[in-house]
Amino acid sequence: MRGPVMKIEDIAVRYGDCWSIRSATITLEPGVIHAILGENGAGKSTLLKAAVGFAPRVAGTVRIEGGAGAIGMVHQHFMLVSAFTALENLVLGNEPTGSFGRLDLAKARREAEALMEKTGLRVNLDARTSELAVGERQRLEILRVLYRGARAILLDEPTAVLSPLEAEELYTTLGVLAEGGATIAVVTHRMDEVIRFAGHVTIMRRGRTVLSRPIAAEERSDPKRLEDVLTRAIMGGEPPPETSPPALAQDAKVALSIEDLVLVDAGGKRVLDGLSLTVKKGEIVGIAGIEGNGQRELVRAAAGLEPGVAGSIVLDGARLPAVRSTEDLRKRRRAIAVVHEDRHADGLMLDASVGDNLVLGELGEIDGPGAEAALITRRIERFGVYPPEPARRAGELSGGNQQKVVVGRALDRIEASPERALVVLGQPTRGVDVGAASTIHGAIVKAAEKGLAVLVVSADLGELRRLSHRILVIHRGRIVAELPPTTSDDVIGRAMLGMEDA
Amino acid sequence: MSSIFSLTMLAESIRIAVPYACAAIGGVWAERAGVIQIGLEGILLTGAFTAVSVTHATHSPTLGLVAAIGAGIALSLGHGQLTERARVHAVISGIALNLLALAATRMGLRALYDSASNSPGIEAYRFGPTGATGGAMLLRVLADPVFFCALAAVAATPFVLRNTRFGLRVRAAGENPVATASVGISVTRVRLSALAVSGAICALGGAHLAYDQQRFESGMSAGRGFIALAAVVVSGWRAGRAALACLAFGVLEALQITLQDEVRKTAVGDLIQTLPYVATLLVLALAPRRAGAPEGLGKHAAE
Repeated sequence: MRGPVMKIEDIAVRYGDCWSIRSATITLEPGVIHAILGENGAGKSTLLKAAVGFAPRVAGTVRIEGGAGAIGMVHQHFMLVSAFTALENLVLGNEPTGSFGRLDLAKARREAEALMEKTGLRVNLDARTSELAVGERQRLEILRVLYRGARAILLDEPTAVLSPLEAEELYTTLGVLAEGGATIAVVTHRMDEVIRFAGHVTIMRRGRTVLSRPIAAEERSDPKRLEDVLTRAIMGGEPPPETSPPALAQDAKVALSIEDLVLVDAGGKRVLDGLSLTVKKGEIVGIAGIEGNGQRELVRAAAGLEPGVAGSIVLDGARLPAVRSTEDLRKRRRAIAVVHEDRHADGLMLDASVGDNLVLGELGEIDGPGAEAALITRRIERFGVYPPEPARRAGELSGGNQQKVVVGRALDRIEASPERALVVLGQPTRGVDVGAASTIHGAIVKAAEKGLAVLVVSADLGELRRLSHRILVIHRGRIVAELPPTTSDDVIGRAMLGMEDA
Repeated sequence: MSSIFSLTMLAESIRIAVPYACAAIGGVWAERAGVIQIGLEGILLTGAFTAVSVTHATHSPTLGLVAAIGAGIALSLGHGQLTERARVHAVISGIALNLLALAATRMGLRALYDSASNSPGIEAYRFGPTGATGGAMLLRVLADPVFFCALAAVAATPFVLRNTRFGLRVRAAGENPVATASVGISVTRVRLSALAVSGAICALGGAHLAYDQQRFESGMSAGRGFIALAAVVVSGWRAGRAALACLAFGVLEALQITLQDEVRKTAVGDLIQTLPYVATLLVLALAPRRAGAPEGLGKHAAE
């Protein structure tokens, strides 16, 4: 059964007074994986939403021709009820019932098993959804779309939350579905995925589709050139220069030395389990690992936000005292800048203005409103926050620009501090476009050049490879491998899974 | 002390527990669907007044019961319209509902019966044997049609929530309205349906309260709706456990009445009267905080 051909012609979408899509035209045909690329705020997610009817379309047409079955979307933020079992989530909205509206979960289970058998997407149907790993939850979302009989699946940044191995598996599955005649579209930021797996690519820039064409097989033989072509189309100009870590002095002193860090969570699990590492002055050290292996806690411990942590953190030869008061916290902030991985939960006040967010935490350190305004303007310019309006609500910015605010604030502040010593960044460019990522990478390298020790936690191995002097692999709350940045994905991936041979 | 372990005690406990349990089950329905409902008190009171006034006019307690259920559904849906469509905060709407019910029933008393305190007596259901023995009392309590309806509601609620499509959607709307809407379910419609069920069951409790006294008294719900809400919280938003908590409360209150009779002449009497309430406070203080609360309680599907 072939999926439908979706013809989206010259559509425009507006939220309030803000145009999300000005003019987009794309034809999605069954049989190949369509990749949709573009910078943050270019309108990629909105395009998918418009295709399934979730976005307020003000012009243009969406025509669905031929093929059978519905259209399903897998949202960037999963749409699952965490208190339900996987099976309950699978059937929600499309429940098989017996007499008197009784749920027929046995029938649902049979259908789900058959579907899992056919697609190879395996999920533990009886587990509580909150206990499923991220990859499993995503498989559940895709299964649900298929369960509803969809032959067209639109996925919004599905690999942003996956480890490299899981991402590979996902594309294999999507490839099989496409070969079976399904219509598949994927929004992504990762160029390597497009080059390896997509049969058709569409690029959006500032609310318009600027390129939409198939990728020929011979083009894949020269990935560098293809990447260059696509990057130019995304940026609308020259691709940004590749970042590389600054030269590291042979006799650089150790700036940060973490020893035997242990943290036990409320459930009694050792989320940090004897973690030790060192970072020299001017060195960038990358931390790779599968999500949930202690990265978040490591960042929080460095920030002084985990009062229960045991072990020692030595900075510039002096052991950091436990944070017991706001004064202790201030002291630590003068030496350490931290970017938390969840910008919405820990990094921003979404309802406050961009300007307020850019100087958040520096009350009493800035000399008057004039100086504050100047500081805000400087940070907006230095990091290219778009739109450059301090009064705009932070929640209205695209994800990439929100991240520029968070990273910009941290780096700009610490570079000006006389006691500066360390920068810790959690997922500094997650869900951020090429241009913004390049700006952020440049700023990180600059911080290292100024003699700061830098610790970068990231799920993006490409990013770690470009930025770091060394890559440390974290697994179950401890460092299990130290690798040079030239190490292959395979070897890093095995170490991330805790395999011995890495 | 033998009077504490007797059929009379059992009959009293069950009789007292029914309005609490009905309100608590009503609370479970509203809150599992994600709607904060502190207006149970008002629905109890309105149910009691409607049951009495219709029974008084028609001499049919069954018509009175049906009318009470209708009034409960109407009030509950009104709360739903305010919170789900107009997006009024559910606590504000709940307080308004309680104040409205108190004022409206008082006005009704004045208008219909020219009284500030109570209605004239009515003939409610009379089933089961007469007589003052404990066994006879118990049979009378159990043979009451309102009790039977309440029992059915208590028994059916966990089953419906767990095993039916409607129940699944109610729980989904309460846990994660955004996700529920994303699979094409109208969260508003599901919540309003759950609120209708909630209002009906809660009003049942009001009717039981009034038929038990054979008349309406101003403010006769006397905080039962709030105690019921406490039972919902303590039970972790589970119907069976909430009903059990209400039964325990019924036992304490019956105990309080019995003990009070025995020590009426001493100063301890007044203290004993506070027994059920002290127990409630203790349980609330010791219960794990918000364990089992629906994650989407008070949240909406879209701005």
